Amino acid sequence: MADVSGESSRQGQVQVYFNTDSPDIELPEEKRQLIVPTDVRRYGLSQILNSESMLDTPAPIPLDFIINGTFLRTTLDEYLTANGLSSETTVNLHYVRSLIPPLYEASFEHDDWISCVDVLSGSSRAGAWEGREVLAGQERILSGSYDGLLRVWNKSGQAIATSVSSSAGGHTSSIKSARFISPTQIASSALDRTIRIWKYTEAQDHFSAELKPVMELYGHKGGIDSIDVHGPSNRILSASTDGSIGLWTTQKSSAPEAPSNMITSGPTAKRRKIATSTSTPQRGPLSLISSHTAPVTAAIFNPLDSTVAYSASQDHTIKTFDLTTSGLVDTRTTSHPLLSLTALPGISTQLLAAGTTARHITLLDPRMSASSTQIMTLRGHTNKIVSLSPDPESNYGLVSGSHDGTCRVWDLRSSRQGTKDEGGGLVGEAVYVVERDSQKGGAKRPVGGEGIKVFGVAWDKDVGIVSAGEDKMVQINRGRGVTRVEGS
Amino acid sequence: MAPSAIDRKRKSVPAEHNETLETDIESEAEFGDGLLEGILSQSESEDSDEESNAEEESDEEEPELDALEALDSDEIPSEDSGSESEEPIGGLVKSNGTKTAVVALREKPLPDEEEEKPNYTVTTDANGGERYVYEEIDPVYDSDDSDAPITTNTIGDIPLSFYDSYPHIGYDINGKKIMRPAKGEALDALLDSIDIPKGWTGLTDPATGKPLNLSQDELEILRRIQTNEMPEEGYDPYPATVEYFTGIEEIMPLSAAPEPKRRFLPSKHEAKRVMKIVRAIREGRIMPYRPPGERQEEEEETHYDIWQDEVPRPDHIMNIPAPKIAPPGYDLSYNPPPEYLPTKAEKQAWETADPEDREKEYLPTSYGSLRKVPGYEKFINERFERSLDLYLAPRVRKNRLNIDPASLLPKLPRPEELKPFPTVCSTLFRGHEGRVRSLAIDPSGVWLASGGDDGTVRVWELLTGKQIWSAKIGDDEGVNVVRWRPGRDAVILSAAAGEDVYLLVPPIVDPETDAASRELLDKGFGHATNATQALTANGARKEPVAKWARPGSRLEDEGVLIKITLRTTVKVISWHRRGDFFSTVSPTAQKSAVAIHTLSKHLTQIPFRRLPGIAQTVQFHPSRPLFFVATQRTIRSYDLQKQELVKIIQPGARWISSFDIHPGGDNLIVGSYDRRLLWHDLDLSTRPYKTMRFHQKAIRAVKYHKGGFPLFADASDDGSLQIFHGKVVSDMMENAQIVPVKVLKGHRVKSNLGVLDIDWHPREPWCVSAGADGTCRLWC
Repeated sequence: MADVSGESSRQGQVQVYFNTDSPDIELPEEKRQLIVPTDVRRYGLSQILNSESMLDTPAPIPLDFIINGTFLRTTLDEYLTANGLSSETTVNLHYVRSLIPPLYEASFEHDDWISCVDVLSGSSRAGAWEGREVLAGQERILSGSYDGLLRVWNKSGQAIATSVSSSAGGHTSSIKSARFISPTQIASSALDRTIRIWKYTEAQDHFSAELKPVMELYGHKGGIDSIDVHGPSNRILSASTDGSIGLWTTQKSSAPEAPSNMITSGPTAKRRKIATSTSTPQRGPLSLISSHTAPVTAAIFNPLDSTVAYSASQDHTIKTFDLTTSGLVDTRTTSHPLLSLTALPGISTQLLAAGTTARHITLLDPRMSASSTQIMTLRGHTNKIVSLSPDPESNYGLVSGSHDGTCRVWDLRSSRQGTKDEGGGLVGEAVYVVERDSQKGGAKRPVGGEGIKVFGVAWDKDVGIVSAGEDKMVQINRGRGVTRVEGS
Repeated sequence: MAPSAIDRKRKSVPAEHNETLETDIESEAEFGDGLLEGILSQSESEDSDEESNAEEESDEEEPELDALEALDSDEIPSEDSGSESEEPIGGLVKSNGTKTAVVALREKPLPDEEEEKPNYTVTTDANGGERYVYEEIDPVYDSDDSDAPITTNTIGDIPLSFYDSYPHIGYDINGKKIMRPAKGEALDALLDSIDIPKGWTGLTDPATGKPLNLSQDELEILRRIQTNEMPEEGYDPYPATVEYFTGIEEIMPLSAAPEPKRRFLPSKHEAKRVMKIVRAIREGRIMPYRPPGERQEEEEETHYDIWQDEVPRPDHIMNIPAPKIAPPGYDLSYNPPPEYLPTKAEKQAWETADPEDREKEYLPTSYGSLRKVPGYEKFINERFERSLDLYLAPRVRKNRLNIDPASLLPKLPRPEELKPFPTVCSTLFRGHEGRVRSLAIDPSGVWLASGGDDGTVRVWELLTGKQIWSAKIGDDEGVNVVRWRPGRDAVILSAAAGEDVYLLVPPIVDPETDAASRELLDKGFGHATNATQALTANGARKEPVAKWARPGSRLEDEGVLIKITLRTTVKVISWHRRGDFFSTVSPTAQKSAVAIHTLSKHLTQIPFRRLPGIAQTVQFHPSRPLFFVATQRTIRSYDLQKQELVKIIQPGARWISSFDIHPGGDNLIVGSYDRRLLWHDLDLSTRPYKTMRFHQKAIRAVKYHKGGFPLFADASDDGSLQIFHGKVVSDMMENAQIVPVKVLKGHRVKSNLGVLDIDWHPREPWCVSAGADGTCRLWC
């Protein structure tokens, strides 16, 4: 009896059932059940699935396998033993496209800390809104820096355009947020309480370009931490430290007049007036919603419905607004100040992820009843999480940038039950950690993320994970040398 | 054998001696020995004395049993007369030696009697004829079926069912019918079977013959078994876990030793000892259990040395003197005869043996004459050992305290339950050259202002740690203190460098607030020119206490709008909650140590002409018109409206460095250079309610959280901050609960200075600290 069981564990086999959410790599019904040896790992299972008899893919697709909500990181046998499962049961293997470990690709150096990055590519939002395709290889990376300048880079690390200085109509203070509205239009916000719209024109050879200020938007009484843009409706949403959310338009004609008390007076304004040679049109907000009691740190459009906006604030709340009436729809109170916000429309139409000062990411759904605010928390960062960006290819992926000097890649499908110390609930852990390249030499991360804080992160399908921070570098990471089949 | 013989000898000597006088003290042992026959007769008379009745009886019977008397003087005869009637049955034969003798004596006459006596009696029947009535046969041993169980039924081994149809169930030894035992009425049985009572089983209890019914308890057990419950009522299958070892992992345990392995293993030593005992029991070396009788006997055998504390007594019969020590023998002589002297081999054996193994303590030695006998060679040795015994003997019984140190700790809630509080350093603010002397978070919670020894005031973005603005206000002197003006209507920063206090408007606000702030600062210029200047005694114009002026265009461009020049170095700025008054302290000054400035009038006043001691710091009360002034040893509170001293608080510290008033207004914390942190309840006493001394070095700053969290913190020169949970209950009956929750380490100690200032975020449980290492840190 003992012999038999010993032998079966040595060269055991287990029946598995493959299933997936992605219809393009779905197996035909009769092939889903299979008996595999228990000593295979993820790679072995991936090879089995990519083989001719199974998926018959032209190029192998790296796949990850989820059993009971956790990624398979050991052999099947070790997993079964660790979880006390019999090898006679059928194991449900949920296979997903593997997240490629993001490898360091390049970094572009700046003069000062970089507060934000955005990407323009054929698959980015700005690129998709415009009918005209952004050619492959013509992707652009936009960075906003604390020196008050915007820079547009091509993928080979050349700054093909830099915005003008404050004397020529640029920002008079540090830029906090910048976005492509379209391949020819950029919006940026800064600590000088203004949003500026820029016209971006590239030369024919694509190696030089011009950033021309088009419009200055006044109205906020505090620095503007974050903006979100919606190209088709020409709307900009801003979040300011004065606790208000602004809705703006990029069209000169339809924008209201700028409030006069916001523009003049003060020595800085005086000096600028003397120096400014070009006069940029100044406009005001379509509406300012003062609903938060503390600085608003992020405001975003609902990706599926541009009349709905969400905002996250240091007063611990996430609020939902109806932009057509500027009315507050819903308030969700969390337990920590929130610093960043992003929507994950792929899972449910209103799933939001918010980065907190308490070093974790909170996932919540504003539609659900107020009693169950928190769906899941993602833990692992060691400092404030100030930037979030969803995975362009997966509905469940997410990248976060934190003051601890790392970007972390998360997959929401893998989770575990939180300990009592963590407050229970579902807890997710990072799949990959992207370190700063500038810090690679150092063995230990500095206290408080000094010198390597990440302020902005963007994840693009064509470019990869673009992150920027205190080390004055824009860093690009992506899984290299792996071709992916186009999703249907 | 020898000692016991001596024993007996010892005992017997006095016994013989006293025999004629007293016979009462005879011991039983001597009866057993049978040595002294003369006493026996006396003892009998003694016995008969005790029971006079018994004596009388025996006296009466004596004539009958003369013959027996000669044989033994025991009291058996009286028994014999009583047992005479039993003897024909031949029942009792005792194995007593005296009894058998008696039986043997009587044996002969008995059979004669038996033959003569017939086993029947002759009576006359109804006809007058002879009728023999036999006595009942007693089968005793003559019964032939000895194996059969004793039964009165003689029907033999046949089933009882044969007699089912008869009213009897058999016959007894005399042929009489044994009637069937009475049973319950058939009707009763029928009724029982119809009206089934609770617990009826239909069975008959073989022990009692009654119907076997189940009791209520038994029924309940059956019901529980059927419903898969625990059969026993009240049994808890899942009792609450008894935590023998705490599940909570301490960060700083009282003992860092890990739980030893032996706690989890069965003790080998114990097993060994148990096995030793088991083996001893098996081999019979120890008796597992002795009946109490035996034990008593043994106890009686224990001997006591009755002469151990013998003192000379006058001669008395009750006094048994101690035995004499044997007189010295020949071998103790200084010149013993040669036969007593040891041979060479004996001598060597004596010398090589251990002192305790030697048969004799001395070695017989022959000295030619008495004068050749040397001194006692062991004299010194013996004295030394005696002294050693005396001074090494413990004279005081030491009571070891066996108290669990954990039980001495006060019952405090765990820090995890008191969250949130700052735990980690999340942002560093690096930029100051030299020490950062002071820092403050603005009322909106977005900006951090700091001032350092490099003479600059800097404003930082609190969350990112980016320096936004900087102004150099002190040319040679460092900035000693920076404080924001309370209130959100204007953004004004006050900073003191040297003798000057500056009011600044950093360019971080929107134009509207900026304008409002500037207007607020400029409003007082008219008042300043109109202010009447006091005259001194000799009529000369008195020099004003402070001069309010513009700082010059260079600084004005940077946002420094007003410069107030005082006479001595300003170390402390404290704002009134309304934002119109602020007070400065210059400890080195004699009279004008404390100054109160009115922003709207550009007016400086000196409220105290004399202070008892060097002023250290001042505070306005958060809600009432009270003003607190700390000197080196005391804190005085003054009523500003009535202009009188209200209270003198005596923390008992040698040198107060800073204090802060709880936003509720009834409590106060004081930090001192002698490492103490003191909590005062102003309603309770002028003495501290709690004194904490957790720092290695001087405490530089203490601060309450003003935004609703029950937190306070102190900063020390040992480079650490300590965060406390200090919950003040509005209920007057309850004292404040103070729990240290976190030590924040990170600042480097530079030239004996660690953390110089702290401040709390106005809303969040975050604090910032200014270090002598040139950095500020945000902890959250």
